[in-house]
Order: sequence, then C-alpha cells, then structure tokens
Amino acid sequence: MALIRTENLTKIYGTGEAAVVALDHVNIAVEKGEFLAVMGPSGCGKSTLLHLVGGLDRPTEGRVLLDGRDLTSLRDDDLAALRRRRIGFIFQFYNLIPVLTALENAALPLLLDGVKPAEAHRRAAEWLTRLGMGDRLHHRPDQLSGGQQQRVAIARALVAEPDLILADEPTGNLDSRAGDEIAALLRRISSEWGRTILLVTHDSRVAAHADRILFMKDGRIIDETRLTGTGEEQAQALRERMEAL
Amino acid sequence: MRVQLTMALRYLRGRKLRTALTTLAVVFGVAVLFGMNALLPTMLQAFRQTVLATMGKVDLVFTSVTDGPFPADRVEAVRRLEEIAEATGSLRRNVLLPPEVASRAGVNAVTLVGVEPEVAARLRHYPLKEGRFLNAGDGNAAVISKGLAEKLALAVGDRLTLPSATGTTDLEVVGILDVPSIPGVEEVYIPLPVAQRLLGIPGQINVIEAVVKPGVDRDEVKKAALAALGDLFKAEPPEMGEELIASLRMGEVAFALFGVMALAIGAFIILNTFRTVVVERRHDLGMLRAVGASRRAVVGLMLAESLLQGLLGTAAGLAAGYGLAWVLLLTVKSVMQHYLRMEAIAPIITLPNLLTATILGIVATLAGGLWPALSARRVTPLEALRPVVPGAYERAAKKRGIVGAVLVVLAALALVTGNFNLTALGSLLFLVGLVLVAPVLVSPLARLFGRLLALIFAREGRLAEGNLARQPNRAAVTASALMVGLAMVLALAGMVTSIFDGFMSYIDHSLRADFLLMPASLVLGGGNVGAGPELVEEVREVPGVLGATTLRLGTAAVNGLTIQVIGVDPRTYPQLSGLVFRYGDPEEAFAALGRERAMIVNGVFAAQRGVRVGDVLTLQTPAGEREYRVVGVGSDYLNAKLVTAYISHANLERDFYQTADLLVMVEAAEDADMAAVQARLEKIVQKYPSFVLTEWRSFREEQERVFGQSVSLFNVIGVMFALPSLLAMVNTLTINVMERTREIGVLRAVGSTRRQIRRMVLAESLLLGALGTAFGILAGLWLGYVLVQGMNVSGFVIPYYFPYTGILVAVAVGLLIGVGAAVVPARRAARLDVVAALRYE
Repeated sequence: MALIRTENLTKIYGTGEAAVVALDHVNIAVEKGEFLAVMGPSGCGKSTLLHLVGGLDRPTEGRVLLDGRDLTSLRDDDLAALRRRRIGFIFQFYNLIPVLTALENAALPLLLDGVKPAEAHRRAAEWLTRLGMGDRLHHRPDQLSGGQQQRVAIARALVAEPDLILADEPTGNLDSRAGDEIAALLRRISSEWGRTILLVTHDSRVAAHADRILFMKDGRIIDETRLTGTGEEQAQALRERMEAL
Repeated sequence: MRVQLTMALRYLRGRKLRTALTTLAVVFGVAVLFGMNALLPTMLQAFRQTVLATMGKVDLVFTSVTDGPFPADRVEAVRRLEEIAEATGSLRRNVLLPPEVASRAGVNAVTLVGVEPEVAARLRHYPLKEGRFLNAGDGNAAVISKGLAEKLALAVGDRLTLPSATGTTDLEVVGILDVPSIPGVEEVYIPLPVAQRLLGIPGQINVIEAVVKPGVDRDEVKKAALAALGDLFKAEPPEMGEELIASLRMGEVAFALFGVMALAIGAFIILNTFRTVVVERRHDLGMLRAVGASRRAVVGLMLAESLLQGLLGTAAGLAAGYGLAWVLLLTVKSVMQHYLRMEAIAPIITLPNLLTATILGIVATLAGGLWPALSARRVTPLEALRPVVPGAYERAAKKRGIVGAVLVVLAALALVTGNFNLTALGSLLFLVGLVLVAPVLVSPLARLFGRLLALIFAREGRLAEGNLARQPNRAAVTASALMVGLAMVLALAGMVTSIFDGFMSYIDHSLRADFLLMPASLVLGGGNVGAGPELVEEVREVPGVLGATTLRLGTAAVNGLTIQVIGVDPRTYPQLSGLVFRYGDPEEAFAALGRERAMIVNGVFAAQRGVRVGDVLTLQTPAGEREYRVVGVGSDYLNAKLVTAYISHANLERDFYQTADLLVMVEAAEDADMAAVQARLEKIVQKYPSFVLTEWRSFREEQERVFGQSVSLFNVIGVMFALPSLLAMVNTLTINVMERTREIGVLRAVGSTRRQIRRMVLAESLLLGALGTAFGILAGLWLGYVLVQGMNVSGFVIPYYFPYTGILVAVAVGLLIGVGAAVVPARRAARLDVVAALRYE
C-alpha cells in the first residue's frame, strides 16, 4: 500500500496573467519503505511537490493522502503535529536553530511534542551517535562543518521515528565528498532503518542511490525509471537523461 | 514550554547588547515607579510621627471655612457646650523674617501663635528647656522652639524682632521649648493680644482648639460645636501640616504617572525591538513550524522571550529604584534635617508597592511583546525555505495605511471642533494614525529626502533610498520609534515655550510698574504680614513718584471651595498694572468694582466653577454671606495658579476686615531720576522688613533667568526621552545590514569600496532620521498644542506659542540620531568579508 499518494495535485502561484503553474495535476504514489527521487531542472516544481506532500503549503487543487488520510483537509495544528511525529524534513540549508546545540536541535521535534527533555536528549544522542556525530553533541551549528550540520539535520528528521523522510536538495550546499557521504546516509536510512524517503534533487549522483526516479518538467511528471545497477554508471545514465530534459 | 524558555534565553544571551538596551527601557520605568513610591511614604510617615508628637491632647480644632480670622468671642460658643472640658482661641499666622535674618539663619518664616497663656498651657504640654512659659500678664514676651533659638542664636532674655503691621515689633524671649516643633515651621508663642496687634487684626482669632470630656463621643461633640458656631465654621482633624502632606501626596501621584509613562515608552520600545526580532528570525520561526511547532508554540517562544526580558528589567528596575530612593534620600537628608528636623530614615518597601511595580513592569513588557508575538503566528514554514513574497506585505501595509489616514482625518476634525476632550483624543488618534500611515508615506518621503541627500551622497543616496522603499514596513517601524521620541521632545518644548512666553506676557501686563514692594516669597498668601496705610502714603510722597497702588488679601469660600480674594484699587490698579482679560471689558469691569459688590475672577476660578460674566455668586466672608456679581474674567502673574477673585479695597474692608497692603506697585514719572527714587524707596522699605523693593527690569530679568533654568531642565528631560529612539534605530539598521549581507557582498564584489558601503548605510540612516524627524515634528506640534490647551481648560490660561527652538532642537536631535545610529552598522557592513558575504544564506 502506498504511504503517500497525490491526486491531481496542482499549485498555482499568483492570479490572472501573472499566474504561474508550479504543479499541474501531479499523481504519484510512494510505497512504504521506498526511496523515491524526483529529478528535474530548477523551477520544474519539484520543491513545490515536496512542500505540499509535507504539509508545509496548501495545494490550489487536488489532494495529498498520507496513509489514506487527506492532508489538505487538516487544520494547521494537526498538520504541525503530523510534521512533528510522522514526517522528517531535511533541507538544503540544514535550517538548524543557531542558538541550540547539536543535541538540542536534534531533539527539537520531541521537545516540541512534549517529550521530557531527558528522554528527548537521550534519543537525540542515540541518533547523532549512529550518524557519527557522537563527539559533537554540544557544539552549536556555527561550530560545525556543512556536512556535520546536515547530519544534525538528519538526526532531527529521524528522532521522532517518522515513517516519511522528505529531503530537499540535501547535498546542494555541500562539497562533493560531504555530498557523497550524505547520499550514502540516505541510502542507509532507507535500507537499514526502513524509512520511506522522498528526495528532490538535480544531483544525479545522489539520485543514483534511490530505488525509483521520477523526472519532472514544467510542473508535470514526464518520465519514470527504476534503478537496478549501482554507483557510477547509474549516475552517468541519469546525467544523460537530465541533460536530455 | 521548557524548550521555548531555553531558546528564549539563548536568543537573549546571543544578543547581549540589544537585550541590555531593550531591558533598560523597562528598568527606567520600574525604577521610577518603585523608588519614588518607596521614598515618599517614608517622608510622610516621618512627618506624621513628628506632627503627632506635638499635638498634645487637643481633640478638636475649628477654623472658619474661609480659613480667615473671626472674632475672638466665638470661642465662647464652644466653651459653653457641656461636653467640652476646655477650649481656647488662638491666632496662627506665618510671618516672613527679614531677608538678611532669613539668609543668615536658614529660616524663611516663623509661625506666630498668639495664645491665651493659661488656657493654652492646660490644653497642651509645653516642655521647657529654659526659662518659663507665657503668663497672663505678659506684654511683648515670646516663647520659641529650641531649633529656632539655635538658628537665630537667641537665649532667654534676648530680643527677637519681627515685621509687623506697624513696621517691626520687638519681643523678649522668656522661654525656650524642648520639643521638635512642627516640621518646616518654627513656632513663636506670644500672648494673643500682642499677636493681634502685631498682625493688625485686633479682637480676631483664626483657630479654636478644644478638649472633650472623657467618655464623650467626639463626633457628637463636633456636630454640636459646629451647630453652635454656625455654618461659617469647619472642624479639622487635629493634624497640622496638611498642606505638606497634600503636596507629598501630589508628588506620589505625579511620580506614579511619570513612571507609568516611562513604562509605556518602554513597552513601545519592546514592541519595536520584537517586531524587528520577528522579521530577523523569520527563517528560524519558519523552520520551527516546518519541524512541527504549532502556532501557539511559536507565540509562546516570543512571549517567553519578552517575559524573560520583563523579569530581568523588572528585577533590575526594583534594585535601581531602591538605590534611587536611597540616593535621593541622602540628597534631601540634610535639607530635611535642617528645615523639617526629620531624622534619618530608610526607604519603606511595602508589599503593594513591590507588587504594583513588579506587575506593571512585567505586564508592560508582555504587552509590548504581544503584538509581535501574534504576528509571529503568521510566519509559515515556507518562509524558512524561500524569500518573502513582497505582495502580501504591501497589501497589509496599504490596508493599515487607509485605517491610519482615516484616523488622521478624524484627529484633524477633532482639532477643528475646539473641544478639549476631542482634541486630546485626537492627538492620540493622530499618533496611532501616523504609525499606521508611515509605511505608505515612506516611499514618497524617501524620494523627497533622497533628492536632498543625493547632493551629498551622489551614488550611495540612491541605493539607500531604494533600500528603504523596498522594506517600507521596517523603515516605518524605525521611523516611528524616532517619531515618538521626538514628538515627546517637541511637545515638551512646545509646552515649555508657551508657559515661558505666557508668563513673560503676564509679567509685562500685570506687573509692569517701575518698582514693586513685595513680599520676599513672591506669594501673596501664606500669612505674610502686610503694611498699614502709612507705607503707601510715604511712597506716594517720594519726589518723582507718579502714583502707587496696592494689593490686599482675604479669603472667602464659594460652595465649600476656598478662594483667595485680592483687594485692588479700581482707580489706580488698571493704570499701573492690570489683568489679562479673557472675558468682559476691562474698563467697565474696574468701574463696577468701585461701584458695587462686584468681582473679577481669574481663569482658574472661572474654569473650576464654570463661572461666567454676569453670574452672581454667594461668597462666605468673615462678615457673613455676601453676593458678588462677576464682571470679568482676567488673571495676573502672581495668582495665575490660585483660585482668585479681585474686588475693591472698600469691599475687602467691609466684608473681610482687611486693610493691610501686601504689595505696592510704584510708577515713576518719565523724567524722574530713577536712581534717586529707588534710593528713597529703599529707605522706606527698611522699616518694613517683610517687604522687598524690586525694580521692574531686574525683577523681569530674574524671572526670565529662573524660567530659563527650568526650560533647559525640560530640554534635558526631552533629550532623555529621545535616547531610546536611538537604540531602536541602531537595532533596525543593524538588522537591515545583516539581512542584506549577501547584497553588500555583491556590491563589494562588483567594486564598491568600503567607504562607499559605509556611506550607503549612513545615507540610509540619515534618511530614516529625516523621516522620523518629519513625523515626529508633526506629532509633537500637535501634542504640544494639546498640552497647552489642557492647561487652558484648567483655567491657567496661556496662549500657544510656536516652539521654533523646539523644532530646531528636534531636527538637530533627529539628525544626530541618524548619524549616531549608523556608526556600528556601517562599520559592520564595511568590514564584511566579501567571499563569506556572498555565501551568506
């Protein structure tokens, strides 16, 4: 059964002549445990898709179903609760709170959900350690490198044990080495910890780790491919595909 | 909740300077509120204790409703009552000491108490340090307090010379009392007949004191006694120094108001800071929302921050207030010990005061933080992920702008009505309206000032202007902060200018005689000793003197309100002096004074009692009820603040038994040798120690100087009000610079020099300064006008004078703040590392 399903998902910004169609009747389904990547040139609507699926924005038309439950009909507070418990976000710019330590940042969704600080910190520390950040628990974001910050953000996304991880260009702000590490981490999240991942990127090396890839252009899904090979050749194939778009 | 508190604390700690500056706004208000309210009750308490110690066993005190003298035989009416054990009449008046004695001894006045020696000794306890108390047969004998004896270096057997109705009177000190006398008042006890003679009111007393028999209900006796005395009398609680207590109370109220006002400004600063904080932290807030924080959690975070700031500021404010009370207490200690003989005291901390200051401090901060916190609700998770959509902001600004414009128009209409309450309300509407309209006005005004600025900052000015126009809301918030500060400065300046000019014109009108013989204290009331008719006659005979006119004084009551009645000579007074008339024809009015029981009332009187020309009022005079017709409304300089009626000398004598001259105005002939006239007058005055000879020009200069001092004091206060605006500007500019880090990086990358970046920020700051100043001047003129109108409504009529200097000060302060606010942000912008700035998110 699909964890996420969209039905004619449409988003139009602005009105009249200035109206821009960012998403145009998109129908996708993400199976439980699947690692799905969405690729496309900038401005193709892939980030908008991610925002709508994550309940960060509301569609102009259509529905988003999470476990069969329509997100578009939820009240703001319910959406917030959903984001705390069932969805984890990973952003391009990490988006950590600058005044909180790595541990506190990672524990944030739990703390916001009313989990006792000691328990929240314990669970956050566990995840950070798993992600190789065990020796940086009490550092503030500005004391960490980009790759390290992104690991904290990933720990934050995982700490509440959500079913769904949404990642928006998670390597866009990293050098290639750090990018590769993060991409490998995403793969681990999917295979080792069984999370469902929806990844948006235009970096074919990251997308190459996914199970399935959707190609988007002008707000529409125009193609789909399932990956079987590994590593560099897949990435190369994807690069060629992207250039064709 | 805990995570919000943690974050709030971290954010506050992360910006120590801003936190300190913003907190300071709260500290100031709480300190004034708490400190003053800890100080004044202390003084009141100390004062009461001293008073109670001297009251003896007197149960009831009666005076006439007018507080004026009455025949001594009225005491019999009380004495006859069964329930009364003892009653005595006394005559109590303040007498000014001759200036040379006063300055030497550090006492301005003594309270002369004429007593019936034997009866008085039975009613009160007079512990003697030296000598004896008065006896029935005593002539010019006096018993004085220990303190006075020390100050004047008098011992038993020495002579004390006091000014009197006939010049001076010598008294022999027969005893020295071993009591702390009534604070601030040095008492001199003399036999009643001597006092009556000295004060020029034979057969009169002004206080009846009585002791009731044991076991009798005091209130019942009071009623019976009042019935026996007639309705011209009132009973007083046996507590003296009520005036001092009343003014201390007034002080309490005034300081409380000042503190609340300071807190209100503090709340506005908090509001401003938090508005910028919300903008600055939009990204973080959006992120919180993205990872699942509810709207309430976001509001909670902002409120937690303002709560922390409130707690911090209030705690610091309480400490500062306590310190302030101590410092003030130490400052006034010597004065209090010297004049009031109150012992060293400590500030009193009462629970209500502590609670009030604490609650108000925290509530003001929370109130200031509330609106920004609520606006943080509207931050969507997406704002963390992409730049703002400017359209939404503009629409909201436009809507608010329309509301603001409506408010401004309403305010203008209120001003046109001339109704004070509406005008006052209007000034408030105007301020709020300006704050709302400001964002819409930012662009056109920025263009206007930008053109001026372009003369100096050819290239940077254009950029600065664009920066402001791009974020009109932010610019408006900053400009509003400056506006409120400058509006205060200007409103104060407007009021002070008007009072200053108003008083000067009063002086020019009503005290324009060449020479003035007047009481040293410059107040007609207060029990000054007047002069008999000989003084003015002597003055008139001086060669070169064209004429002289005198003022006399009585007190009356109208419907329970005590008023001051000034006797003038209807013929000579308008020639040598005069009143500033508001209603009625001066010539007719003075003629009427001479013809009938007519009076001219002053502005305060007219306003408080709603009196108009043509009304007939019943005055309770020492001679009974008398009907006086109001023939004009006019004021003079000395009595502008007191409820006053002017009647003729003849009527004052007939109904008030007053014939003593308290002030003599002298006009010299045009060709007279002024120096010679002055010398002659000087000689005459020497015989009348309660009078001081003043030459008009020097008097005017002296008054001008005194006023000038308070004007500069007000200017300092005004500038202090403007300081918080500087903080607000520095805040916003710094945030502006931070937000544009990447843009500044681009400018640097394409070849701008550090100097140009600095100048750009400076130009922006100057533009903001100019905007705030423009708004502030508009609002300040309005507020000032309203303040002056407010005083006029209370009857203290002064015309509104346009505060030209105030505007210059406001412009100077505004520009200074504009330059000053740019220093830190400009340096920051110029020092940005280009590469890092380009990479900035």
